[in-house]
Amino acid sequence: MKHQSVRRQLHLVGGLFGAGFGFVLGAARLHEYDTIHKMLRFDELDVFFLMGAAIATSLPLLWLLERRGINTVFDGRIALSRSKPERHHLIGGALFGAGWAVAGTCPAPALVMLSSGAGLAVVAILGLFIGLQLRDLHVAPTVVGDGEHRQLTTVE
Amino acid sequence: MELLPDRLPWFIAGPALGLLVVGLFLVANQPLGASGAYIHTIKAVRGDADTVSWRVWYFGGIFAGGLAATLLGDGLNAHTGYEAMTALWSTPVVAAIVFTGAIVMGYGARMAGGCTSGHGICGTAQRSPASWVTTATFMASGVIVTYILRLATGGDL
Repeated sequence: MKHQSVRRQLHLVGGLFGAGFGFVLGAARLHEYDTIHKMLRFDELDVFFLMGAAIATSLPLLWLLERRGINTVFDGRIALSRSKPERHHLIGGALFGAGWAVAGTCPAPALVMLSSGAGLAVVAILGLFIGLQLRDLHVAPTVVGDGEHRQLTTVE
Repeated sequence: MELLPDRLPWFIAGPALGLLVVGLFLVANQPLGASGAYIHTIKAVRGDADTVSWRVWYFGGIFAGGLAATLLGDGLNAHTGYEAMTALWSTPVVAAIVFTGAIVMGYGARMAGGCTSGHGICGTAQRSPASWVTTATFMASGVIVTYILRLATGGDL
């Protein structure tokens, strides 16, 4: 079935992009508590530069692809999302930042932290699962943010 | 094996992440976020009908890619990952602190609709005002809370 084969191809795409992402995070040591803490203390600016360089690379390219109305492999014409800032972005962002400072890691680096043999990463990952879930129990999930998965228009 | 440099410099790692962001849009028209992968992994475990299964593969991929970086770098060795904190408190206390921080972080990420990767890199690159605001907010909050931690521990953290 065509649909099944698209699903399998998407699994491969997901696995590969995840692996690329995890590899870069690990190689740049973004999974280490010290890296994040030095950044938030302004002792070392590398992570700010890293994020800046990632944005400086992807922003103009995405802009160009959007202007050209390029077709993506699996999901038709490229579509970027641009939402207006609302209250939940401010409160959610403030909570996220506080947790980030305390735990010294964030969702993707926590997984890389575990793969480096750091035992307490299990606690961080478990906490993340619970926190994400608590919000859904508290407020029915209606908002899909610009950083979250969106429904594919042609598959799934 | 020590095939990797001690630390991949930002001017290589940053553009590499940027290209991954662009690549995932070109292939699947999707943002390269991490909190969404957690959500779909929970959904997969629960057996929800609206699970996006490739996000679960992506979740596993992040771990696998990290493991590859570990094996090509320092190699796998068991540690807590929070040596700066275990120098101050016992491991159960550190675990409780990290656990609490992670719950707050997860709650905030879901509320804001993304995290450091989703809003901080991918959303800002889409020129989304909401992502720029969220990113500025969590950066400011992270810096302030780190400063408070530093004051509270007499400069140890």
